[in-house]
Amino acid sequence: MKDAGEAVIEAVLDPSQREHYQLAWLSTVDHKRIGILYMLTGLVFFIAGGTEALLIRLQLAVPNNHLVGPDTYNMLFTMHGTTMIFLVVMPLLFGLANYFVPLQIGARDMAFPRLNAFSFWLVPFGGILLHFSLLLGEAPTVGWFAYAPLSETPYSSQMGVDYWAVALLVLGIGSVGTAINLLTTVLCLRAPGMTLRRLPLFTWMNFINSFLVLFAIPVLNAGLVMLLIDRRLNTHFFLPAEGGSPVLWQHIFWSFGHPEVYILALPAFGIVSEIIPVFSRKPIFGYEFVAGSTVAIALLSVGVWAHHMFTVGMGRPMDVFFAGSTMLIAIPTGVKLLNWSATLYGGRIKLKTPMLYCIAFLVQFLCGGITGVSHAMVPLDWQTKNSYYLVAHFHYVAVGGILFAILAAVHYWFPKMSGRMLSEKLGRLSFWLMLVGFNGTFLIQHFLGLAGMGRRIYTYPDLPGWGWMNMVSTVSAFFMAAAALVVLWNIVASLLSGPIAGDNPWDAWTLEWATTSPPPEENFERLPPIRSRRPLWDDANPDRPDPVVGPEHDGGVSPGIDKNKCGILTFVISETGFFGALILSFLYYNVQPQSGPSAKDLDLMRTGFFSIFLFASSWTMWRAEKALHRGHSAGMMMWLMLTITLGATFLAGQAVEYGNLMGHGALLDSNLFTATFYTLTGFHGIHVFVGLLAMIIVLALAFAGDFHVPVPPPALAMVAIYWHFVDIVWVLVLTVAYILPRFV
Amino acid sequence: MISSDPTVTLTTAWPHPPATLALTAIVLFVYFRRYGWTRRAWWMIAAAVVVVLALMSPLATLAEGYLFSAHMVQHILLVLAAPAFVLMALPEGWRVPHWMERMLHPAACWACGVGAMWIWHAPVLCDAAATSRAVSGVQSVTLLLMGAAFWWQLLAPRESDRIAPLQGVVYLFAACAGCTVLGIILTFAPVTVCRAYVHPVDRLGIMPLIYGTWGMTPARDQQVGGLIMWVPMCLVYLGAIFGQLARWYGEEQIMTYKL
Repeated sequence: MKDAGEAVIEAVLDPSQREHYQLAWLSTVDHKRIGILYMLTGLVFFIAGGTEALLIRLQLAVPNNHLVGPDTYNMLFTMHGTTMIFLVVMPLLFGLANYFVPLQIGARDMAFPRLNAFSFWLVPFGGILLHFSLLLGEAPTVGWFAYAPLSETPYSSQMGVDYWAVALLVLGIGSVGTAINLLTTVLCLRAPGMTLRRLPLFTWMNFINSFLVLFAIPVLNAGLVMLLIDRRLNTHFFLPAEGGSPVLWQHIFWSFGHPEVYILALPAFGIVSEIIPVFSRKPIFGYEFVAGSTVAIALLSVGVWAHHMFTVGMGRPMDVFFAGSTMLIAIPTGVKLLNWSATLYGGRIKLKTPMLYCIAFLVQFLCGGITGVSHAMVPLDWQTKNSYYLVAHFHYVAVGGILFAILAAVHYWFPKMSGRMLSEKLGRLSFWLMLVGFNGTFLIQHFLGLAGMGRRIYTYPDLPGWGWMNMVSTVSAFFMAAAALVVLWNIVASLLSGPIAGDNPWDAWTLEWATTSPPPEENFERLPPIRSRRPLWDDANPDRPDPVVGPEHDGGVSPGIDKNKCGILTFVISETGFFGALILSFLYYNVQPQSGPSAKDLDLMRTGFFSIFLFASSWTMWRAEKALHRGHSAGMMMWLMLTITLGATFLAGQAVEYGNLMGHGALLDSNLFTATFYTLTGFHGIHVFVGLLAMIIVLALAFAGDFHVPVPPPALAMVAIYWHFVDIVWVLVLTVAYILPRFV
Repeated sequence: MISSDPTVTLTTAWPHPPATLALTAIVLFVYFRRYGWTRRAWWMIAAAVVVVLALMSPLATLAEGYLFSAHMVQHILLVLAAPAFVLMALPEGWRVPHWMERMLHPAACWACGVGAMWIWHAPVLCDAAATSRAVSGVQSVTLLLMGAAFWWQLLAPRESDRIAPLQGVVYLFAACAGCTVLGIILTFAPVTVCRAYVHPVDRLGIMPLIYGTWGMTPARDQQVGGLIMWVPMCLVYLGAIFGQLARWYGEEQIMTYKL
C-alpha cells in the first residue's frame, strides 16, 4: 500500500488534472516549470536592476552632474543592490537548482512540490512589495544593508524602509522554503546508486548551500522583525538615543550578510565545477577537495561577518581575530581555483560559450578574491572601506564571478531546458561584449577608489582623473547592457528556430543528460546504472568505466530517511536561528538592568506554573503518538485534545501575564526590556498558536477518519516534532528571561 | 624568587604543583610500562607536553588569577588537545570496560564536550577556579575527562566505537555552534563574567607588564577570551570535520582511520 503523501503527489503531478484551467504555468508544481519561472522572474528584475545601474552610471558619467537628484540617487543604489541580490541572483540560482538538482540525482520532482510553488510565488510577491514603494515615490534610500539609525523612523520617515523590510521578510521565507526543499530532495529522493559520495558537484554545492540558507536567512528575519517593530511600534532596538544599539543591527545584518555572499557564490562554484570538466573532456581534478572545500567555505563563512565592521570601532581583539579567520577563507577558495585550473591542465579544451564564461569566471573571481583578502587586512580596510575600491571588489565577485557563472549555466543548460541549441556566434558576441563591458566598468573603479572616490556619492567635483575614469566606467556599462540584449536575442532566436539539441549535445556525463531535451513530465524513462560520479561516461564506455566510488553494497537503494521528517527537522533548524538571534538580543539588552520595568518585575511563580502546562503538553503529545502507533485512533484523538487544552491554557497564562504587565504600564515601547521581552515571548506565543492550529487541523482530520487506516498520514508525527521544538524554545526563554535575571 | 624585570619573572614562573607532577609522571610510567615504545607513544609525549604547558608553565601562572584569556587557552588545551592526543596514543583495539561503554552515548559525549565549556564559565565556578587551587584541580581533571568523552566518539582506538563520518560532521558542527554561542556571549557581554580577573592579586609583580606593556584591560581580556573560544576553538572543530570528511571519502580504501 502506498502512503498517503505519495498518492497525493501523484495526483498533483498529473498534468491532465490541471491543464483544463488553461493556467498550467500559474498552477504548476513541476520543478522544471518552477525553475523556469524562477529564472524568468530573475530576468524581469534583472531588467529593473540593470536599468537602475545604468542610471547610476549615467549620473556619474561626468563631474558635477545633475541628471538625478541626491534622493533619487540614493533610491537607485538601494534598489539596485537589493534587487540584484534578492530578486536577480538568488532567483536565478534557485531556478537552476530547482531545475537541475532533481534531474542530476535522478529524481522525479522536488520533495515538496507545493512548497516549491509557494516558495517561488513569494519571489514575485516580495519583488512587487519592494517596487511598490517606487510607485509611491518613497523607495528606500538607506542602502542595501539599511544601517541603523538611518533606517529608523526619525531619519527615514517615509514608507520605503518598511516596504524594504517586509519584502525581504517575504523573500527570506521563500528562500528558507527552497532550502528545506532542496535539502530534503537531496537527502531523500536520490535514485538507486546515487550515494552522497557520487553527487554531481552542482548538486553537492546546492546541498551544502541549503544549510547556509537555513542558518543565515532566519537571523536576518529576526533583525528585520526588530527593525519593523522599531519603526511601526515605536520601540528603540537600534536607536542609540534611547539606549538601543545600532551596532547590534550591523552584527545581525552581517551575520546574515556575509554567509549571503557564499549563498550566492557556492551554487556558482557548482556550475563552474560542472562545466569545466565537460569542456576539458576530463573528470574534475580532486573531486573530494572541491567538495570538502565547499564545506570549509560554508563553515568559515558563518564566523567571519565582523570583517564588514572594522571601521565601526570594535576594538583591536575583534579586528585581529576576524582578520585572521577571514584570511583563512582564501585557503578553501584557493583549493577550488587550483582544482579547476588543474582540470583544465592537459585537457582537450573546447572553447564553447559556456567554457568561455567559465574561464573568465576563474580570472575575475580570482581578482575579486584577492581584493577581498586585501579587505581582510584591517589597516588597508580602514583606508578603502566605502570607496570605489570596495565597489569594484564586490562587483568582481558578484558580476565577474557569480553572474558570469550564471551566464555559463544558461548557455550550458539552455539546450536541456528548451530542446534547442543557442547560436554559438551570438554566444561569443555576448561573451566578448560582457567581458569588455564588465572589466571596463569595474577594473577602473579600483583606481577611482584608491584615488579617494567614495561609495554612494551622487556626484563629484572635477578632480584630476576622476572625470575620464568615470566616463570609461559608464561607457563600458553600456557594453554590458548590449551583452545582455544579445543574450536575450540569442534565447529568443533559438526558441523560434534554433537547431534541435538532442539529449546530450555536449557529451556530458551527469544524469540530466540521460533524458530527452526538454525532459518529460516524469523526467526519466529509465536511468543508467550509477556506480561512479559520471554515470553517462560509464554507460558510453563500458570497457573503461570510472572506478566505482564508495562501497558497492550501499549503491542499491535510496536511503530510508523519511522526507516529511527531514522537512520538518530542517524547518526547525531554521527556526533555531531565528530564536537564537532573538534570545541573544534579549541577553544583550538586559544584562545590565534598564531603568523602568525590568526582568525582575516578572512573576516567575505564575509563569512557572503555566509553563508546567506547556511542558506537560509535550508529554501528552508523545502519548498521542504512542496511541496512534498502536493503532488506537480514538486514544490518539483524546491525547491530542488534551494537548490542545494544555497548550491553550499556557497561552491563556501568557495573556494574563501580558495583561498584568500592561496594566502596570509596561508597554511594548516602555524601554528595551519590554521591547525585547514582548518580542521574544510574543514570537514564541505565535509559534504556540500556530502549533495549536496545526493540532486542531490534525484533530479535524482524525475526526474525519483520516487516521483510522492501516498506514496513517505522517501529519501527527510532524506536528509533534514542531511542538516539542516550541517547548524546548520555551525552556530557553524561561531560563533567559525569567530565571537568570534573578541571579545577576 | 622575584626578579625586577617582570618579563623574566613571568618566563621563569613555572609552577610545579606536586599532585599534577606526580599524576602526569604516573600516567606516563604506566603507559610506557604497559605498551612500551611505539610510534604512537609520540602522541603520549605530545599529551604530556600539552599538560605541562597548560598546568605547569607561565601560561598556568597567568591563568591563575591574572588573565581570563590565558585561562581560556588553558581550558582549550585541556579539553581539546590533551585528551585527543591520549586517545590517539592508545593502541588499536583498546577498549573501555563494558559498563563504561554504555555510558558513552554520542549525545552524552557531546554534552560533555560542550558542557565542559559552559559549566566552567558560570561566574561562580569561574571565580572559584581562578582563586582556589583545589577547585582549579577539580576543574582540570573534569576538563580532561569530559574532553576525552567528547573525542571518544571520533578518535576511539577501535573503529567500531566511533560514530559514522557524516554523523561526526554533525556532531562537530553542533559542538562548534555551542561554543560559538558561548564565545559570542563572552565577547559581547558588557558585564564581567569572571570577577576574579578584574582585580588580580599581583603575587609576582607582573601587572605592569600585562596592563602596561601588553596594553591589556579587564574588558579587553574578557573579549580576547571570548574570541579564543569562538574562533580558534571552532577552527579545531573545523579541522576535525575535515578529518571526518577524509574518513568518509576514503572509507572503503582505508578501513581503520589512522592519524
